[in-house]
Amino acid sequence: MSQPSASLNRKAPLLSLRTVWTIARGTLTQLIRMRTFYFLLAFAGLVVAIGNFNIPETPAKELSMIKKVSFGTMDLFAWLFAIVSTALLIPRDLEDRTLYTILSKPVRRVEYLLGKLFGVLIVVGISLTVMYLLCGFMISFRESVYIAEELAAMEKDGRYSNKEIRDQIALISKHGMRPELGIAVIASFLKAAVIAVVTIFLSTFASSSLFTIIISILIFLIGHAHNMASSFWLHQSDGSMFVQQLVKVVKILIPDFQLFSFSEGIVLGEVVPYALVGQMFLLTAGYIIVFLLLSLLVFADKEF
Amino acid sequence: MSFFRQNRKLLLVLLGLVAFGVLRAPWENRLREQLVKQRLLLPPPGHTALQQMSQSALMGTLGGLRSLVATYLSLDAFGDFGEKNWDELQRKYRIICNLEPRDETHWVSVVWHIGINATAHVQYYSEEMPKYERERRFQQYCSEAIKLAEDGIKQNPKSAPIRLQLAEVYREKLKDPCNTARVYKDMLGLEGTPGYITRFYGYFLADCPGKEKEAYAYLMRLFQMGEKHHLPTLFVKIKELEEKLNVPFPRRIKTDEPERPDKPKKPSNVLPGGIVVP
Amino acid sequence: MSEVLEKNPTEEPVETSPLAVEVNNLTKVFSTGIRGDHVVAVDNLSFEVKAGEVYGLIGPNGSGKSTSMKVVLGLMQASKGEAKVFGLDSGDIRARNVTGFLPENPYFYKHLSGAETLQFYGKLCGMKRKDLKERTAELLEMVGLEHAAKRRLGGYSKGMLQRIGLAQALIQRPKLVILDEPTAGVDPVGSREIRDLILKLRDDGITIFLCSHLLEQVQEVCDRVGIIFEGRMRREGPLDELIAIENQTAMTLENASPELLEKINELIKAEESTKLVEQGHPRTTLERMFIKIVGRKQDGGKS
Repeated sequence: MSQPSASLNRKAPLLSLRTVWTIARGTLTQLIRMRTFYFLLAFAGLVVAIGNFNIPETPAKELSMIKKVSFGTMDLFAWLFAIVSTALLIPRDLEDRTLYTILSKPVRRVEYLLGKLFGVLIVVGISLTVMYLLCGFMISFRESVYIAEELAAMEKDGRYSNKEIRDQIALISKHGMRPELGIAVIASFLKAAVIAVVTIFLSTFASSSLFTIIISILIFLIGHAHNMASSFWLHQSDGSMFVQQLVKVVKILIPDFQLFSFSEGIVLGEVVPYALVGQMFLLTAGYIIVFLLLSLLVFADKEF
Repeated sequence: MSFFRQNRKLLLVLLGLVAFGVLRAPWENRLREQLVKQRLLLPPPGHTALQQMSQSALMGTLGGLRSLVATYLSLDAFGDFGEKNWDELQRKYRIICNLEPRDETHWVSVVWHIGINATAHVQYYSEEMPKYERERRFQQYCSEAIKLAEDGIKQNPKSAPIRLQLAEVYREKLKDPCNTARVYKDMLGLEGTPGYITRFYGYFLADCPGKEKEAYAYLMRLFQMGEKHHLPTLFVKIKELEEKLNVPFPRRIKTDEPERPDKPKKPSNVLPGGIVVP
Repeated sequence: MSEVLEKNPTEEPVETSPLAVEVNNLTKVFSTGIRGDHVVAVDNLSFEVKAGEVYGLIGPNGSGKSTSMKVVLGLMQASKGEAKVFGLDSGDIRARNVTGFLPENPYFYKHLSGAETLQFYGKLCGMKRKDLKERTAELLEMVGLEHAAKRRLGGYSKGMLQRIGLAQALIQRPKLVILDEPTAGVDPVGSREIRDLILKLRDDGITIFLCSHLLEQVQEVCDRVGIIFEGRMRREGPLDELIAIENQTAMTLENASPELLEKINELIKAEESTKLVEQGHPRTTLERMFIKIVGRKQDGGKS
């Protein structure tokens, strides 16, 4: 009989990135093979439909609308996808007892949670990139069509100076595809990352995927609305003490998702300072660390 | 006690959530201020707008789909435009502008719809209405358009297109040269202001009673800036002012109008700001 | 905070225990409902599994077998008592380097093929690429699934899943393999194959700890057996000792003539204290008969 002492004495690091990566890759493969990327086809169809908006408006306004709807839909798809795919993973592993076989290998629970989170984030990142490219292509195409039409119209009657023509083109370009829009995609990614880690936290004590999805969406909506709704409620209730306290409790317990909606400003053409983006990254990291720790608190001694 | 022992984990989680909430609150408030200052985050829409919204639009707005709701409503408003349902259109645009106050195109659209289209509709196409009612509604739509434009300017202080549309209402509908000139003056130096506004300001100031001297000085400055500004209207306006102000003959400009090739007129369906009337 | 299931490993070397599994006074209590009612699933249970033996924990459904097994695996925490694997606390992550586990009716990721499944678990065990590739091929051959290596698990039958599950449990060359109802839901052919695999593993020096309520199966493979009921160990010992009826002796004769049988009967009658309890042709088991009829050919290597 061979002695197992060598295996028993093998070093067990506190966090093995290799294990995390193995689980993340497994999650990525799982989501790909579950055909979750099919939703990108729906998005592509939507973008084409949006790109064919024919509104009796100025090219600048039409482009602005196309851009807003495309990026708004992208943001919606990103967070919804983050919730659904995350909620499907852990409860499903538990229901299928796959978790038993994973955790009976030398895998720490934190590695499992991190692996699942990274897997989802990779998929969300890929999806957002594909959606961004689709939107970019559509907006650039429409922009070039509008510019060509405007140039033809303005040059034809010769009433406009070169400067006026340049100004008009600049106005259209301002509402068209700009590199800063990449930061709007990053904003959507950060929002999706926060809701993904919150969903992981919920799924550590949830009994089913459906429960996790419903509660996560509810938390997302509340987290998105509390800043907006609090002033509304406070006004409606004439500033009652109960409502004030309730608003405070909600604000403390639920993440402020509206803060992560700064993509809306970028899409409208506002300039975003990089320092602010850096701070949003830090805040996201804070949310990820804290919610992972809380998830671990629940998951560490969870019995299966 | 046994409750606490049994739910130790739950209490710890709650404690963690509260501690994190308390720690992040000041940071998030600061970030919110910065984001609002940078116009990256919109301030919450007014409660009137929220109250006026349909249930689904309200849910969408609260759920972070503000842009999508605004876009949907503006598409919906085109239906009211087709139906000449001006009051409903205005109500929708009030919500849209509340949702996205910093998108100047919404303000431009609503001022154009109410100030230009609705006024034209009551003026020329509402023959079933008594004349008095039509005039009253005309005035009402003009006032509403002006109010909307002013609200829009408050939200977008540097917006040239909103001012351009406002000036259009004063100029074309109310025939008010003084206010037209005032708005054009505000536009000078703003990004996106068309070049002709520099001249238009002087032209309408010239028609504003009591502002003749100021207008004359301004138009003369333009005249002296070179031939670039020597356009027929400039000559006509200066000549009118010379008459009004009794400018001594030696100081008056030469009467010869510059030769100017016949230029095609601007298409009648294009309004200032590039808005195309369907 | 309650004690976490994962214990932080120390870098100190571990003395190898001659006992693969050591369960001492294990008690597991579950709280149910909001009112905090308690159910005792395992009650002061103690047993040992020696390195190299096949140990079977048997008992009816709900007797506490799986709970005890999960504590040994570190998936659950003992309310009282302790469980050790090769001398290490069962919560110590290093214990899992030497432990393989096949849960009851295992479900793996349906989107992975047989080979991908083994590679996934091998990577989780920190195996190197080359070694993992070789080990995957070796195990697929061992469990007879080379032909289905590239097929996704979604298309596997129950028996095939059980075999890939066993291969998964063996991927990191564990010294202890824990099997929970290894033949549950598998037909007799598949069941026999698994039994043969277990015996092969024992011959290779691997300790097997299995839980089952199928006595026949346990009887065929186990060296020692523990009988658990309502969370308590009722009887434990080497299988032969447990099932032997001490005051009876069985004799099986082949080609015995009627004369010989007559003589034996005469001798028995002569002994005053001896009584013939039963005489007749021995019966084969139903399982054996089924296998003989169905055979492996019909299955074509698939269960």
